Amino acid sequence: MNRREALFSLANGFGGLALAHLFATDAVAEAGKSGMHHPAKAKRVIQLFMNGGASQMDTFDYKPELFSRDGQKFDPGAGVHVEAVTSVPGNVLKPPFPFKQHGQCGRWVSSVFPQIANHVDDIAFLMSVKSKTNVHGPASYLMNTGFTLPGFPCMGAWMSYGLGRITDNLPTFVVLPDPKGLPYNAQGNFSSGFLPVLHQGTIIRPTNPTPIADLHPPESAKYITPKSEDDGRIVLEQMNREHATIHPGDSRLDARISAYELAAKMQLAAPEALDLRRETKAVHTLYGIDDPTTATFGRQCLTARRMLERGVRFVQVWSGAGGASNNWDNHTNIKKELPAIAGSVDRPIAALLSDLKQRGLLEDTLVVWSTEFGRHPFSQGADGRDHNGGTSVQWLAGAGIKGGVAHGESDLWSWRGNKSNDVHDVHATILHLLGIDHEQLTFRHNGSNRRLTDVHGHVVKAILS
Amino acid sequence: MLMCCLLCSLVHMVWAGEATAQSTAAKIDFTRDVQPIFAKHCYTCHGERKQKAGLRLDRRPDALLSKLFVVGKSAESRLIRLVSGTDPENRMPPDGQMLLAKDIETLRAWIDQGAKWPAPEGDHWSLRRLSLPAIPATKDVQHPIDAFIRTKLSEKGLSHSAPADRRTLIRRLTFNLHGLPPTPAEIESFVRDDSPKAYEQLVERLLASPRYGERWARHWMDIAHFAETHGHDQDVIRENAWPYRDYLIRAFNADLPYARFVQDQIAGDVLNSGDASAIAALGFLAAGPWDESSQSSIRDDTIDKKQAQYIDRDDMITTVFTAIASTSIHCARCHDHKFDPISQKEYYGLQAVFAGVERANRSYEADPALAKIRGELLAKKADILAGKFDLAAERAKLDEWEKQIAGRLTRWKTLNVVVSAKDSKIEPQTDGSFRFAGKRPDKDVYSFKATTGRIVTAIRLEVLSDPSLPMGGPGRQDNGNLHLSEIRVKLSDGTIIPITSAAADFNQDGWGIARAIDGNPATAWGIHPAVGKMHEAVFILKQPIPANATFTVELDQLHGAGHLIGRARLSVSSDANPAVSVNPLPTEVVEILAIAPEKRNEAQSKTLIQHRLLIDVEARLAVLPIPQMVYAAASDFATIGSFKAPKGPRVVHMLIRGDITKPGETANAGTIACVQGPGPLIIANPTDEGQRRAAIARWLTDRENGLVWRSIVNRVWHHHFGRGIMNTPNDFGRMGATPTHPELLDWLAVWFRDRGGSLKDLHRLIVTSETYRQSSAHNADYTKIDSDNAYLWRMNRTRLDAESVRDAVLAASGKLDSTMHGPSSRQFALSPGIHVTPKVEYEKFDFDSPASRRRSVYRFVFRTLPDPFYEALDCPDASQFTPVRASSVTALQALAMMNDRFTVRYAEHFAKRVEATSQDCLRQIGFAYEEALGRSPTELETKRLADFAERHGLANACRLLFNCNEFLFVD
Repeated sequence: MNRREALFSLANGFGGLALAHLFATDAVAEAGKSGMHHPAKAKRVIQLFMNGGASQMDTFDYKPELFSRDGQKFDPGAGVHVEAVTSVPGNVLKPPFPFKQHGQCGRWVSSVFPQIANHVDDIAFLMSVKSKTNVHGPASYLMNTGFTLPGFPCMGAWMSYGLGRITDNLPTFVVLPDPKGLPYNAQGNFSSGFLPVLHQGTIIRPTNPTPIADLHPPESAKYITPKSEDDGRIVLEQMNREHATIHPGDSRLDARISAYELAAKMQLAAPEALDLRRETKAVHTLYGIDDPTTATFGRQCLTARRMLERGVRFVQVWSGAGGASNNWDNHTNIKKELPAIAGSVDRPIAALLSDLKQRGLLEDTLVVWSTEFGRHPFSQGADGRDHNGGTSVQWLAGAGIKGGVAHGESDLWSWRGNKSNDVHDVHATILHLLGIDHEQLTFRHNGSNRRLTDVHGHVVKAILS
Repeated sequence: MLMCCLLCSLVHMVWAGEATAQSTAAKIDFTRDVQPIFAKHCYTCHGERKQKAGLRLDRRPDALLSKLFVVGKSAESRLIRLVSGTDPENRMPPDGQMLLAKDIETLRAWIDQGAKWPAPEGDHWSLRRLSLPAIPATKDVQHPIDAFIRTKLSEKGLSHSAPADRRTLIRRLTFNLHGLPPTPAEIESFVRDDSPKAYEQLVERLLASPRYGERWARHWMDIAHFAETHGHDQDVIRENAWPYRDYLIRAFNADLPYARFVQDQIAGDVLNSGDASAIAALGFLAAGPWDESSQSSIRDDTIDKKQAQYIDRDDMITTVFTAIASTSIHCARCHDHKFDPISQKEYYGLQAVFAGVERANRSYEADPALAKIRGELLAKKADILAGKFDLAAERAKLDEWEKQIAGRLTRWKTLNVVVSAKDSKIEPQTDGSFRFAGKRPDKDVYSFKATTGRIVTAIRLEVLSDPSLPMGGPGRQDNGNLHLSEIRVKLSDGTIIPITSAAADFNQDGWGIARAIDGNPATAWGIHPAVGKMHEAVFILKQPIPANATFTVELDQLHGAGHLIGRARLSVSSDANPAVSVNPLPTEVVEILAIAPEKRNEAQSKTLIQHRLLIDVEARLAVLPIPQMVYAAASDFATIGSFKAPKGPRVVHMLIRGDITKPGETANAGTIACVQGPGPLIIANPTDEGQRRAAIARWLTDRENGLVWRSIVNRVWHHHFGRGIMNTPNDFGRMGATPTHPELLDWLAVWFRDRGGSLKDLHRLIVTSETYRQSSAHNADYTKIDSDNAYLWRMNRTRLDAESVRDAVLAASGKLDSTMHGPSSRQFALSPGIHVTPKVEYEKFDFDSPASRRRSVYRFVFRTLPDPFYEALDCPDASQFTPVRASSVTALQALAMMNDRFTVRYAEHFAKRVEATSQDCLRQIGFAYEEALGRSPTELETKRLADFAERHGLANACRLLFNCNEFLFVD
């Protein structure tokens, strides 16, 4: 049993440490700097998740071969089996977008990301990340939890478990789903699995009447007023203190008293953090909030930045809901579907990178761009592409990341990897930057010492600064 | 050269010396530290399957005979030379990754510390046969449990606490056995009962109540990871999952012997086939998540589909072995178990045991009377089909029937047509149909041009399945679907013949046939998910097409994404009043009916009579209530997409490193060998999948299977004390906890087994012990010795779980609905989602609806869309097994208890109830305390809450009571 597990077994039982996980203690703050296992480069992380499987060869993985072989039979060699999960493989389909080189590093980016292209010198690209599956559900679980099955803790939950909280006022791990709907696997992607529920992702829907579930009493209860709440907290605390006095030696009773104090703080802090009116017009314009194309994702990114500034450890922002359209799952027509969804995130992501940099936050904030898998170089129907677990592009920027580099390589067609990383490598690298040795962050469940990286994972040193 | 080597070895020695000094400080444990290294690097060639160079490192005697290591002297051990590359002849492993320096140091330290290798496999305590330990002789102790507990306490310098008072006892026992608080009247009556048997009578009353089964079924649902949706990205509702929950409640209430309870859930259909409820028990095997995308929506011939089948069976065997044997069998999927003596081969043997079942809906007869009637009708139907009926008597009834049916039949004739399409290739078939092929366009319009010598009053479109189409068609979309946007009938001069009505044999939800004639190209007729079979639609024309006129039928398919018809046939009718329905009789029968009665031959008459009788018996069957369905393990069911019944056990391969692309030898059904006693699996007929499951069910419930009997008594103990004798209830392996009272565990297991496996007897035994009845009060001195209370010097104080919190709120508010059984209450608003998973909104649920008032065991659990209120109180989403509920403390939990619409609304109900009891505010507060906390308030407490209620309302005061620690904890 490691130290953290010991803490929890006591917190769940009868010992004296239930309070330790409730507060942002000095010890946690110290650990945040020095890291759990080695000094940390990153203090916080924002992950931008493109739900549906962003097409790599139409965005960042430039393959001239696809242009010259457009319309020909896809033939990776004699006897090599080609299949696709929802369709009969079609012929080679060239990207319907022009590519250009950008930045000092000369990175190829297609015309669907004109703004992100301006930041390539700050970005490290993983050019060939492979998945274990070609199906959304298991692939999204893998990308989020390191396992293809439901019930495992996601990366944000592991971070919360490993590093604790920076602030008392807001949750440690926040999720901003696409307002159109939840991704594939719904809330399964943000679950703390078998870790205590304390580490669960808190869903925030900034434009909803109730942005955080149960943050405030229902409006129908008119008798609940600010004054009744203040008085009620005092009475409740008296009742609980008296009870604790005659039931000594049980820290859970004290912890629950403190939890109500924290709840009150969160009730004040959360609305302030979510109030985008406190930002200047220039910032709104930067994030594209005044343009209907980019307004939604722009708001999510700006909200995320405000969360990070206020001490949230991990923010996950989703683009695209689970479903057949309006996301990155472009089965039918790459030429029409991809620019639409890419255009909705391009400016906001570029703005986020500029904004974090300008505020000095990029120094210790890690930005991660993820998707569950790539797409096939051959067509589905006439103009679409089916799921491809064989290779995908993911990128990182900010704290501890060497900008302008690319690591790994897909094959001639961007069908499979020549030199690949797996999803576990991405996780191991992120944890490494947070000062965590991915092999040592474990939790015992059902007979196994579980890790975010299962029994795999290597830190991708080539992209570290 | 020599110099260089010398230098190297010097450097090596110095470094090694330091490292050894370090690692000798840490005590090496073979199982924890060494065995994983062997498993990772050595067992592939020197394990159970292969013994290269005659060497075997997975078993103690073989390894000790190998002369690979000199005990206590790592420097002289060949093992170390081999793995560190310093052996002149060889290095190990010969290829692949070398051992890490830290692993080599671990091996070195292990040898230096004496190369301790634990007792031979199979000798781990939990795998041993059960024997009945003697009850320790203790002065003044009657109860066997107390004798064991007290002996251990006094060894540790501890003793039992004073007995709890009666008020505490009844609250503890009622929450424990019912998951509900006692009523104030029940408390008073128990407190005042001066019978010496008052407590025992209370225990009996509680065990006899149906509330008991509801509470303890909930525990088992956690262990089985039961929920009512699939989980994963297509998180579909399982409409028929709940009968399994009802089976559990009934089983606990009826005190079903434990062996029978286990057998029902694994092979009830085989072992207890006379009892239909045993089929509902098979919901156990299907309780966990299911990956609909990978199992049903994607193509059948893909690697992802095969992978999904293995992963799905993994969940089944893990469910069985975790819940019933507390064994981490799943750790042997990719390699031999690193800690417990379970080989990968044995793991795949268990995969083979369950290779004949999948998760699906299956029907069973819940009502025996109904079963009898249905049985008779089915027998009659079989007779009719076999031609066993009285021909002469039935012939007399034919005339009248023909008159009745005449109006409902339409006569169809296949049309000779010329077909064209905008973008598809056309392939005529011999049966008058046409296949549409070539590169699939997004959209298309097909035209059927014809001239016929008879008038046309109606048109029939048949869309046919075809092996060349995706999912067998009839559509060309990847999922087998099609969308007919509009159908148009045009004469050669361009006149449009309007269609007045239409009917189809199947309509996709939201894509009915009416949408093909509504003039709106954005809507269409679809047939998903009933793909892979033919469908038909009939269209009634407003006015007949004259005979010999040339006309065109145009099929607009404009939805996009390749939702096109793959194969079609057109027929027409000249009937004066064609029926707006697809024909209820096969074409063969319709054709006979068209022949005048006197011109029919004998065979034709017999066919008619047979069909008349069939229609009659079908009608009588149709009015019977349909048999109950349960989502359970099933070997036969209707195909859904690419999800097909196995029809006999599938072939299971041992997957090398668990990799689906590396299938090894074929696995034979079998079980683990390390459990002493029950022996190997005996399967009379291994080709019968039911026999395989029956064999494992019998093996698990064998008298000699100590693992299983220990597992269940420990679980029951855990739920009584908040902590098991073995504190890892799902893992009795070497890496599990160490039992605090191993003799007591064995004694209980034998006692329980030999009394027939009665759980109620076990509860009775435990709750009547002094150990259970002692106070939970703190003791500073004892805390220093045993802060976790592992030895039970007091009772543990436990926080109510999510379900008990909610049920206690309902009980206090007077609104608890104690209706039992039936479909689950859905405490959310449900609407169609963007994709397959529906939209679930907890914030829109009406808390005044009846669904909100039933006990929480009847609540519908949605895996990927959990209820934030329950989640805040540590309620699992059933994606994983939950042997022990957490009880965390968070700010979000405080917010949920204060602000959730449920607690707020029921605080209002509670306040109304309180108000009705008295005009006097102080008395009202007294009543509220009694109901919520089971005691009267002090004067100070009364005054304080009454003041608050006066200022902010009684509902606000009641809300505070629900939030206090005293409400949420049980002493």
